Amino acid sequence: MNAESSLATDVTSPRPMLDMSGIVKRFGANEVLRGVSLQVARGETVVVIGPSGSGKTTLLRCVNLLEDYQQGTVAVDGEPVGYVMDRGGQRQRMAEREIAAAREKIGIVFQSYNLFPHMTVLQNIVAAPIRVRGIPRPKAEQRARDLLAMVGLSEKADAYPARLSGGQQQRVAIARALAMDPKIMLFDEVTSALDPELVGEVLAAMQQLARDGMTMIVVTHEMSFARDVADRVVFMDGGVIVEQGAPEEMFASPRTDRVRQFLKRYNDRYRI
Amino acid sequence: MPIDVHFLARLFPALLEGAEVTVELAVLTMAICVVWGLVVALGQATRGPLGWAAGAYIQIVRNTPLLIQMYIVYFGLSLVGVPLSGFASGLLALCLQNGGYVAEIYRGGLQSVSARQYEAGRALGMRRWTLYRSVILPQVIARVIPPLANQGISITKDTSQVAAIAVMEIMKVAQVWVESSANTYDVFLAVGLIYLVLTSVISVGARVAERQLAFVS
Repeated sequence: MNAESSLATDVTSPRPMLDMSGIVKRFGANEVLRGVSLQVARGETVVVIGPSGSGKTTLLRCVNLLEDYQQGTVAVDGEPVGYVMDRGGQRQRMAEREIAAAREKIGIVFQSYNLFPHMTVLQNIVAAPIRVRGIPRPKAEQRARDLLAMVGLSEKADAYPARLSGGQQQRVAIARALAMDPKIMLFDEVTSALDPELVGEVLAAMQQLARDGMTMIVVTHEMSFARDVADRVVFMDGGVIVEQGAPEEMFASPRTDRVRQFLKRYNDRYRI
Repeated sequence: MPIDVHFLARLFPALLEGAEVTVELAVLTMAICVVWGLVVALGQATRGPLGWAAGAYIQIVRNTPLLIQMYIVYFGLSLVGVPLSGFASGLLALCLQNGGYVAEIYRGGLQSVSARQYEAGRALGMRRWTLYRSVILPQVIARVIPPLANQGISITKDTSQVAAIAVMEIMKVAQVWVESSANTYDVFLAVGLIYLVLTSVISVGARVAERQLAFVS
Protein backbone atom coordinates (compact mmCIF):
# COMPACT_ATOMS: atom_id res chain seq x y z
CA MET A 1 0.00 0.00 0.00
CA ASN A 2 1.43 3.38 -0.89
CA ALA A 3 1.33 6.40 1.36
CA GLU A 4 -1.36 8.15 -0.64
CA SER A 5 -3.92 5.38 -0.40
CA SER A 6 -3.35 4.94 3.30
CA LEU A 7 -4.12 8.62 3.76
CA ALA A 8 -7.27 8.32 1.70
CA THR A 9 -8.70 5.37 3.61
CA ASP A 10 -7.23 6.54 6.89
CA VAL A 11 -7.23 2.99 8.29
CA THR A 12 -3.68 3.34 9.46
CA SER A 13 -4.34 6.57 11.34
CA PRO A 14 -3.25 6.24 14.93
CA ARG A 15 -5.90 8.72 16.02
CA PRO A 16 -8.77 6.88 17.72
CA MET A 17 -12.34 7.51 16.56
CA LEU A 18 -13.35 8.09 20.16
CA ASP A 19 -11.07 9.41 22.87
CA MET A 20 -12.58 9.78 26.35
CA SER A 21 -10.14 10.94 28.92
CA GLY A 22 -10.49 11.08 32.70
CA ILE A 23 -14.27 11.35 32.81
CA VAL A 24 -15.59 12.08 36.29
CA LYS A 25 -19.35 12.25 36.77
CA ARG A 26 -21.13 12.97 40.03
CA PHE A 27 -24.82 12.95 40.86
CA GLY A 28 -24.64 15.10 44.00
CA ALA A 29 -22.27 13.35 46.36
CA ASN A 30 -22.49 10.10 44.43
CA GLU A 31 -19.55 9.62 42.07
CA VAL A 32 -20.79 7.37 39.29
CA LEU A 33 -17.77 7.70 36.99
CA ARG A 34 -14.41 7.92 38.71
CA GLY A 35 -12.02 9.05 36.02
CA VAL A 36 -12.82 6.73 33.14
CA SER A 37 -10.67 6.78 30.00
CA LEU A 38 -11.70 4.86 26.92
CA GLN A 39 -10.39 4.89 23.39
CA VAL A 40 -12.16 3.26 20.50
CA ALA A 41 -10.39 2.68 17.20
CA ARG A 42 -11.91 3.35 13.81
CA GLY A 43 -14.21 0.47 12.88
CA GLU A 44 -13.89 -1.17 16.27
CA THR A 45 -16.88 -2.62 18.14
CA VAL A 46 -16.54 -2.25 21.89
CA VAL A 47 -19.09 -3.99 24.10
CA VAL A 48 -19.45 -2.61 27.62
CA ILE A 49 -20.73 -5.02 30.25
CA GLY A 50 -21.08 -4.82 34.00
CA PRO A 51 -23.64 -4.95 36.81
CA SER A 52 -26.49 -2.43 37.07
CA GLY A 53 -25.30 0.86 38.49
CA SER A 54 -21.74 0.30 37.32
CA GLY A 55 -21.85 3.50 35.25
CA LYS A 56 -21.85 1.99 31.77
CA THR A 57 -24.98 3.75 30.53
CA THR A 58 -23.81 7.03 32.08
CA LEU A 59 -20.46 6.68 30.34
CA LEU A 60 -22.23 6.18 27.01
CA ARG A 61 -24.42 9.24 27.57
CA CYS A 62 -21.35 11.34 28.36
CA VAL A 63 -20.01 10.71 24.86
CA ASN A 64 -22.60 13.03 23.27
CA LEU A 65 -23.13 15.14 26.39
CA LEU A 66 -26.68 13.95 27.10
CA GLU A 67 -25.11 13.62 30.52
CA ASP A 68 -22.81 16.39 31.69
CA TYR A 69 -19.63 15.49 33.55
CA GLN A 70 -17.46 17.37 36.00
CA GLN A 71 -13.99 16.42 34.77
CA GLY A 72 -12.42 15.03 31.64
CA THR A 73 -12.79 15.51 27.91
CA VAL A 74 -14.26 13.68 24.93
CA ALA A 75 -13.16 13.84 21.32
CA VAL A 76 -14.65 12.13 18.28
CA ASP A 77 -12.30 11.77 15.34
CA GLY A 78 -10.04 14.33 16.96
CA GLU A 79 -12.81 16.93 17.36
CA PRO A 80 -13.76 17.88 20.94
CA VAL A 81 -17.32 17.24 22.08
CA GLY A 82 -18.57 19.44 24.91
CA TYR A 83 -15.37 20.78 26.40
CA VAL A 84 -12.08 22.15 25.16
CA MET A 85 -8.95 22.88 27.13
CA ASP A 86 -7.83 26.52 27.12
CA ARG A 87 -4.21 27.64 27.28
CA GLY A 88 -4.23 27.65 31.06
CA GLY A 89 -5.32 23.99 31.11
CA GLN A 90 -8.84 24.92 32.19
CA ARG A 91 -11.86 23.09 30.76
CA GLN A 92 -14.15 25.41 28.78
CA ARG A 93 -17.64 24.36 27.74
CA MET A 94 -18.30 24.73 24.04
CA ALA A 95 -21.20 26.87 22.76
CA GLU A 96 -24.55 25.08 22.34
CA ARG A 97 -24.27 25.52 18.57
CA GLU A 98 -20.93 23.72 18.55
CA ILE A 99 -22.18 20.97 20.83
CA ALA A 100 -25.18 20.41 18.56
CA ALA A 101 -22.88 20.21 15.54
CA ALA A 102 -20.68 17.66 17.33
CA ARG A 103 -23.73 15.54 18.21
CA GLU A 104 -24.63 15.20 14.54
CA LYS A 105 -21.62 12.92 14.16
CA ILE A 106 -22.59 10.68 17.09
CA GLY A 107 -25.51 8.31 16.60
CA ILE A 108 -27.26 6.92 19.66
CA VAL A 109 -29.96 4.29 20.03
CA PHE A 110 -31.87 4.22 23.30
CA GLN A 111 -33.36 1.39 25.32
CA SER A 112 -36.83 2.95 24.94
CA TYR A 113 -36.54 3.66 21.15
CA ASN A 114 -37.69 7.29 21.58
CA LEU A 115 -39.13 7.58 18.09
CA PHE A 116 -41.18 10.72 17.42
CA PRO A 117 -44.78 9.47 17.79
CA HIS A 118 -46.34 12.17 15.60
CA MET A 119 -44.19 11.30 12.61
CA THR A 120 -44.30 8.32 10.28
CA VAL A 121 -41.29 6.03 10.11
CA LEU A 122 -39.98 7.86 7.04
CA GLN A 123 -40.53 11.29 8.64
CA ASN A 124 -38.68 10.12 11.75
CA ILE A 125 -35.67 9.23 9.66
CA VAL A 126 -35.56 12.34 7.44
CA ALA A 127 -36.38 14.94 10.11
CA ALA A 128 -32.83 15.61 11.30
CA PRO A 129 -31.10 15.23 7.89
CA ILE A 130 -33.48 17.83 6.44
CA ARG A 131 -33.82 20.22 9.37
CA VAL A 132 -30.34 19.96 10.87
CA ARG A 133 -28.10 19.19 7.91
CA GLY A 134 -30.20 20.89 5.25
CA ILE A 135 -30.24 17.90 2.91
CA PRO A 136 -32.89 18.25 0.16
CA ARG A 137 -36.00 16.20 0.94
CA PRO A 138 -35.87 13.87 -2.11
CA LYS A 139 -32.26 12.95 -1.36
CA ALA A 140 -33.00 12.47 2.36
CA GLU A 141 -36.00 10.27 1.57
CA GLN A 142 -34.03 8.14 -0.86
CA ARG A 143 -31.36 7.59 1.79
CA ALA A 144 -34.06 6.82 4.37
CA ARG A 145 -35.59 4.18 2.11
CA ASP A 146 -32.17 2.60 1.58
CA LEU A 147 -31.64 2.47 5.34
CA LEU A 148 -35.12 1.01 5.89
CA ALA A 149 -34.31 -1.68 3.35
CA MET A 150 -31.09 -2.38 5.23
CA VAL A 151 -32.96 -2.96 8.50
CA GLY A 152 -35.67 -4.91 6.68
CA LEU A 153 -38.55 -2.46 7.11
CA SER A 154 -39.15 -1.07 3.62
CA GLU A 155 -42.87 -1.75 3.82
CA LYS A 156 -43.23 0.28 7.06
CA ALA A 157 -42.12 3.67 5.70
CA ASP A 158 -45.54 5.26 6.08
CA ALA A 159 -46.53 3.58 9.36
CA TYR A 160 -46.63 5.44 12.65
CA PRO A 161 -44.33 4.13 15.42
CA ALA A 162 -47.28 3.04 17.58
CA ARG A 163 -48.23 0.52 14.88
CA LEU A 164 -44.83 -1.21 15.06
CA SER A 165 -43.51 -3.89 17.38
CA GLY A 166 -40.70 -2.99 19.76
CA GLY A 167 -38.15 -4.72 17.57
CA GLN A 168 -39.36 -2.86 14.50
CA GLN A 169 -39.30 0.47 16.36
CA GLN A 170 -35.77 -0.19 17.50
CA ARG A 171 -34.65 -0.96 13.95
CA VAL A 172 -36.23 2.32 12.81
CA ALA A 173 -34.32 4.06 15.62
CA ILE A 174 -31.09 2.55 14.27
CA ALA A 175 -31.96 3.75 10.75
CA ARG A 176 -32.80 7.22 12.11
CA ALA A 177 -29.40 7.49 13.78
CA LEU A 178 -27.57 6.21 10.69
CA ALA A 179 -29.32 8.77 8.47
CA MET A 180 -27.07 11.47 9.94
CA ASP A 181 -24.01 9.55 8.68
CA PRO A 182 -22.46 9.33 12.15
CA LYS A 183 -18.83 8.52 12.71
CA ILE A 184 -19.68 6.41 15.73
CA MET A 185 -22.80 4.63 16.95
CA LEU A 186 -23.75 4.22 20.60
CA PHE A 187 -26.19 1.53 21.70
CA ASP A 188 -27.66 1.85 25.19
CA GLU A 189 -29.16 -1.51 26.25
CA VAL A 190 -31.19 -1.45 23.06
CA THR A 191 -32.64 -4.94 23.51
CA SER A 192 -33.47 -4.71 27.22
CA ALA A 193 -37.06 -3.54 26.67
CA LEU A 194 -37.80 -6.08 23.96
CA ASP A 195 -39.71 -9.34 24.14
CA PRO A 196 -37.18 -12.18 23.88
CA GLU A 197 -38.36 -13.24 20.41
CA LEU A 198 -37.70 -9.74 19.05
CA VAL A 199 -34.15 -9.40 20.37
CA GLY A 200 -32.57 -11.35 17.51
CA GLU A 201 -33.73 -9.06 14.69
CA VAL A 202 -32.22 -6.00 16.39
CA LEU A 203 -28.94 -7.72 17.22
CA ALA A 204 -28.72 -8.94 13.61
CA ALA A 205 -28.99 -5.37 12.33
CA MET A 206 -26.25 -4.30 14.74
CA GLN A 207 -24.03 -7.21 13.77
CA GLN A 208 -24.39 -6.25 10.11
CA LEU A 209 -23.44 -2.68 10.97
CA ALA A 210 -20.33 -3.85 12.83
CA ARG A 211 -19.37 -6.01 9.86
CA ASP A 212 -19.75 -3.00 7.56
CA GLY A 213 -17.07 -1.22 9.58
CA MET A 214 -19.07 1.14 11.77
CA THR A 215 -17.34 2.22 14.97
CA MET A 216 -19.65 1.10 17.78
CA ILE A 217 -19.98 1.13 21.55
CA VAL A 218 -22.60 -1.30 22.75
CA VAL A 219 -23.81 -1.35 26.35
CA THR A 220 -25.66 -4.63 26.75
CA HIS A 221 -26.51 -7.63 28.88
CA GLU A 222 -26.41 -9.88 25.80
CA MET A 223 -23.27 -11.87 26.50
CA SER A 224 -23.64 -13.87 23.29
CA PHE A 225 -23.54 -10.63 21.31
CA ALA A 226 -20.42 -9.58 23.21
CA ARG A 227 -18.79 -12.93 22.48
CA ASP A 228 -19.73 -13.04 18.79
CA VAL A 229 -19.48 -9.43 17.63
CA ALA A 230 -17.19 -7.48 19.97
CA ASP A 231 -13.62 -6.70 19.03
CA ARG A 232 -13.10 -5.78 22.65
CA VAL A 233 -15.11 -6.23 25.82
CA VAL A 234 -14.96 -3.63 28.58
CA PHE A 235 -16.11 -4.60 32.06
CA MET A 236 -17.20 -1.74 34.32
CA ASP A 237 -18.00 -1.80 38.00
CA GLY A 238 -18.27 0.95 40.58
CA GLY A 239 -17.64 3.71 38.05
CA VAL A 240 -14.34 2.41 36.73
CA ILE A 241 -13.19 0.08 33.97
CA VAL A 242 -12.12 -3.04 35.87
CA GLU A 243 -10.93 -5.15 33.00
CA GLN A 244 -10.93 -5.13 29.22
CA GLY A 245 -9.75 -7.37 26.45
CA ALA A 246 -10.69 -9.63 23.58
CA PRO A 247 -14.00 -11.40 24.26
CA GLU A 248 -12.62 -14.92 23.99
CA GLU A 249 -9.96 -14.14 26.60
CA MET A 250 -12.26 -12.39 29.01
CA PHE A 251 -15.00 -14.98 28.89
CA ALA A 252 -12.59 -17.93 29.02
CA SER A 253 -10.15 -16.64 31.62
CA PRO A 254 -11.09 -13.42 33.35
CA ARG A 255 -8.17 -11.84 35.19
CA THR A 256 -10.12 -10.31 38.07
CA ASP A 257 -12.47 -11.76 40.66
CA ARG A 258 -15.16 -9.22 39.93
CA VAL A 259 -15.44 -10.26 36.29
CA ARG A 260 -15.33 -13.94 37.30
CA GLN A 261 -18.20 -13.42 39.78
CA PHE A 262 -20.22 -11.37 37.30
CA LEU A 263 -19.88 -13.99 34.57
CA LYS A 264 -20.66 -16.81 37.01
CA ARG A 265 -23.84 -15.09 38.19
CA TYR A 266 -24.78 -14.51 34.58
CA ASN A 267 -24.15 -18.11 33.60
CA ASP A 268 -26.04 -19.44 36.61
CA ARG A 269 -29.05 -17.35 35.75
CA TYR A 270 -29.19 -18.25 32.08
CA ARG A 271 -28.16 -21.90 32.21
CA ILE A 272 -31.00 -24.02 30.93
CA MET B 1 -96.64 34.03 28.07
CA PRO B 2 -97.47 34.85 24.45
CA ILE B 3 -94.55 35.36 22.12
CA ASP B 4 -94.50 38.89 20.77
CA VAL B 5 -93.36 38.31 17.19
CA HIS B 6 -93.10 41.99 16.41
CA PHE B 7 -90.90 42.58 19.42
CA LEU B 8 -88.60 39.72 18.46
CA ALA B 9 -88.40 40.97 14.90
CA ARG B 10 -87.05 44.26 16.19
CA LEU B 11 -84.88 42.66 18.86
CA PHE B 12 -82.97 40.17 16.74
CA PRO B 13 -81.21 42.56 14.34
CA ALA B 14 -80.03 44.58 17.33
CA LEU B 15 -78.80 41.45 19.13
CA LEU B 16 -76.99 40.25 16.02
CA GLU B 17 -75.18 43.57 15.82
CA GLY B 18 -74.11 43.07 19.42
CA ALA B 19 -73.17 39.47 18.65
CA GLU B 20 -70.81 40.73 15.99
CA VAL B 21 -68.88 42.67 18.64
CA THR B 22 -68.96 39.59 20.90
CA VAL B 23 -67.50 37.44 18.12
CA GLU B 24 -64.83 40.04 17.39
CA LEU B 25 -63.79 40.14 21.04
CA ALA B 26 -63.81 36.37 21.41
CA VAL B 27 -61.96 35.61 18.18
CA LEU B 28 -59.32 38.29 18.78
CA THR B 29 -58.82 37.13 22.39
CA MET B 30 -58.45 33.50 21.32
CA ALA B 31 -56.06 34.32 18.48
CA ILE B 32 -53.88 36.50 20.69
CA CYS B 33 -53.94 34.09 23.65
CA VAL B 34 -52.96 31.06 21.55
CA VAL B 35 -49.71 32.87 20.77
CA TRP B 36 -49.28 34.91 23.96
CA GLY B 37 -50.00 31.90 26.18
CA LEU B 38 -47.31 29.91 24.40
CA VAL B 39 -44.81 32.73 24.85
CA VAL B 40 -45.60 32.87 28.58
CA ALA B 41 -45.42 29.07 28.93
CA LEU B 42 -42.04 28.87 27.17
CA GLY B 43 -40.85 31.81 29.28
CA GLN B 44 -41.98 30.09 32.43
CA ALA B 45 -40.04 26.97 31.44
CA THR B 46 -36.76 28.91 31.56
CA ARG B 47 -34.68 29.44 34.66
CA GLY B 48 -33.96 32.90 36.02
CA PRO B 49 -35.88 36.20 36.07
CA LEU B 50 -37.90 35.46 32.93
CA GLY B 51 -39.30 32.24 34.40
CA TRP B 52 -40.01 33.98 37.68
CA ALA B 53 -41.78 36.89 35.96
CA ALA B 54 -43.90 34.55 33.84
CA GLY B 55 -44.89 32.56 36.93
CA ALA B 56 -45.84 35.73 38.85
CA TYR B 57 -47.87 37.00 35.89
CA ILE B 58 -49.86 33.75 35.72
CA GLN B 59 -50.55 33.79 39.45
CA ILE B 60 -51.76 37.41 39.45
CA VAL B 61 -54.03 37.28 36.39
CA ARG B 62 -55.55 33.91 37.26
CA ASN B 63 -56.23 34.75 40.87
CA THR B 64 -58.05 38.07 40.47
CA PRO B 65 -61.47 38.66 38.88
CA LEU B 66 -61.67 39.64 35.23
CA LEU B 67 -63.95 42.53 36.15
CA ILE B 68 -61.28 44.09 38.39
CA GLN B 69 -58.59 43.65 35.75
CA MET B 70 -60.90 45.32 33.26
CA TYR B 71 -61.59 48.29 35.55
CA ILE B 72 -57.87 48.69 36.21
CA VAL B 73 -57.14 48.73 32.48
CA TYR B 74 -60.09 50.96 31.56
CA PHE B 75 -59.96 53.52 34.37
CA GLY B 76 -56.37 53.06 35.50
CA LEU B 77 -54.80 53.67 32.09
CA SER B 78 -56.83 56.82 31.54
CA LEU B 79 -55.69 58.09 34.96
CA VAL B 80 -52.07 57.79 33.87
CA GLY B 81 -52.85 59.45 30.57
CA VAL B 82 -53.21 56.43 28.26
CA PRO B 83 -56.96 56.24 27.73
CA LEU B 84 -58.12 53.19 25.80
CA SER B 85 -61.57 52.68 24.28
CA GLY B 86 -63.93 50.30 26.04
CA PHE B 87 -63.40 47.72 23.32
CA ALA B 88 -59.61 47.94 23.53
CA SER B 89 -59.67 47.84 27.34
CA GLY B 90 -61.96 44.83 27.32
CA LEU B 91 -59.82 43.04 24.77
CA LEU B 92 -56.64 43.78 26.72
CA ALA B 93 -58.15 42.54 30.00
CA LEU B 94 -59.53 39.40 28.35
CA CYS B 95 -56.12 38.68 26.83
CA LEU B 96 -54.26 39.33 30.08
CA GLN B 97 -56.37 36.94 32.09
CA ASN B 98 -56.87 34.24 29.50
CA GLY B 99 -53.21 34.42 28.53
CA GLY B 100 -52.50 33.12 32.03
CA TYR B 101 -54.96 30.26 31.68
CA VAL B 102 -53.75 29.35 28.21
CA ALA B 103 -50.12 29.42 29.43
CA GLU B 104 -51.09 26.86 32.07
CA ILE B 105 -52.70 24.70 29.39
CA TYR B 106 -49.49 24.79 27.35
CA ARG B 107 -47.42 24.09 30.46
CA GLY B 108 -49.43 20.92 31.03
CA GLY B 109 -48.94 19.98 27.38
CA LEU B 110 -45.21 20.62 27.52
CA GLN B 111 -44.86 18.53 30.68
CA SER B 112 -46.73 15.65 29.07
CA VAL B 113 -43.97 15.25 26.47
CA SER B 114 -41.37 12.85 27.82
CA ALA B 115 -37.83 14.08 28.51
CA ARG B 116 -36.73 11.26 26.20
CA GLN B 117 -38.22 13.11 23.23
CA TYR B 118 -36.00 16.10 23.98
CA GLU B 119 -32.99 13.77 24.32
CA ALA B 120 -33.75 12.03 21.04
CA GLY B 121 -33.91 15.38 19.24
CA ARG B 122 -30.78 16.76 20.87
CA ALA B 123 -28.87 13.57 20.12
CA LEU B 124 -29.65 14.12 16.43
CA GLY B 125 -28.00 17.55 16.59
CA MET B 126 -31.20 19.58 16.84
CA ARG B 127 -30.86 22.96 18.49
CA ARG B 128 -33.55 24.42 20.71
CA TRP B 129 -35.76 26.02 18.09
CA THR B 130 -35.66 23.08 15.66
CA LEU B 131 -36.33 20.71 18.54
CA TYR B 132 -39.39 22.64 19.67
CA ARG B 133 -40.73 23.29 16.21
CA SER B 134 -40.45 19.81 14.75
CA VAL B 135 -40.52 17.49 17.76
CA ILE B 136 -42.05 19.02 20.87
CA LEU B 137 -44.71 21.54 19.80
CA PRO B 138 -46.51 19.26 17.30
CA GLN B 139 -47.03 16.79 20.14
CA VAL B 140 -48.06 19.54 22.55
CA ILE B 141 -50.58 21.08 20.14
CA ALA B 142 -52.29 17.76 19.47
CA ARG B 143 -52.75 17.34 23.22
CA VAL B 144 -53.90 20.87 24.09
CA ILE B 145 -56.71 21.17 21.51
CA PRO B 146 -59.45 19.93 23.89
CA PRO B 147 -58.50 22.20 26.83
CA LEU B 148 -57.94 25.12 24.43
CA ALA B 149 -61.44 24.66 23.02
CA ASN B 150 -62.74 24.67 26.57
CA GLN B 151 -60.94 27.94 27.18
CA GLY B 152 -62.36 29.34 23.94
CA ILE B 153 -65.87 28.62 25.19
CA SER B 154 -65.03 30.24 28.50
CA ILE B 155 -63.63 33.30 26.69
CA THR B 156 -66.76 33.64 24.58
CA LYS B 157 -68.92 33.71 27.71
CA ASP B 158 -66.47 36.02 29.53
CA THR B 159 -66.84 38.66 26.82
CA SER B 160 -70.23 39.41 28.40
CA GLN B 161 -68.39 41.10 31.29
CA VAL B 162 -67.15 43.78 28.91
CA ALA B 163 -70.70 45.17 29.15
CA ALA B 164 -69.55 46.66 32.45
CA ILE B 165 -67.37 49.17 30.63
CA ALA B 166 -70.11 50.11 28.17
CA VAL B 167 -69.01 48.13 25.12
CA MET B 168 -72.05 47.41 22.98
CA GLU B 169 -71.56 43.70 22.72
CA ILE B 170 -74.55 41.39 22.89
CA MET B 171 -74.96 41.51 26.67
CA LYS B 172 -74.91 45.30 26.81
CA VAL B 173 -77.38 45.47 23.92
CA ALA B 174 -79.62 43.08 25.84
CA GLN B 175 -79.43 45.17 29.00
CA VAL B 176 -80.47 48.25 27.05
CA TRP B 177 -83.43 46.41 25.53
CA VAL B 178 -84.50 45.00 28.86
CA GLU B 179 -84.48 48.44 30.44
CA SER B 180 -86.51 49.98 27.64
CA SER B 181 -89.00 47.12 27.16
CA ALA B 182 -89.13 45.34 30.54
CA ASN B 183 -89.30 42.14 28.49
CA THR B 184 -86.60 40.39 30.49
CA TYR B 185 -87.26 36.76 29.59
CA ASP B 186 -87.53 37.09 25.83
CA VAL B 187 -84.38 39.15 25.62
CA PHE B 188 -82.17 37.01 27.85
CA LEU B 189 -83.48 33.73 26.40
CA ALA B 190 -82.63 35.02 22.93
CA VAL B 191 -79.18 36.09 24.13
CA GLY B 192 -78.57 32.71 25.80
CA LEU B 193 -79.52 30.98 22.55
CA ILE B 194 -77.06 33.06 20.56
CA TYR B 195 -74.24 32.28 23.02
CA LEU B 196 -75.11 28.60 22.70
CA VAL B 197 -74.80 28.77 18.92
CA LEU B 198 -71.43 30.58 19.15
CA THR B 199 -69.93 28.15 21.67
CA SER B 200 -71.27 25.15 19.71
CA VAL B 201 -69.29 26.32 16.69
CA ILE B 202 -66.14 26.19 18.84
CA SER B 203 -66.96 22.69 20.14
CA VAL B 204 -67.53 21.32 16.65
CA GLY B 205 -64.44 23.08 15.28
CA ALA B 206 -62.33 21.59 18.08
CA ARG B 207 -63.61 18.07 17.35
CA VAL B 208 -62.61 18.46 13.72
CA ALA B 209 -59.19 19.88 14.61
CA GLU B 210 -58.62 17.12 17.15
CA ARG B 211 -59.32 14.47 14.55
CA GLN B 212 -57.11 16.21 11.99
CA LEU B 213 -54.15 16.54 14.35
CA ALA B 214 -54.47 13.18 16.06
CA PHE B 215 -51.59 10.81 15.45
CA VAL B 216 -51.74 7.13 16.23
CA SER B 217 -50.46 6.65 19.74
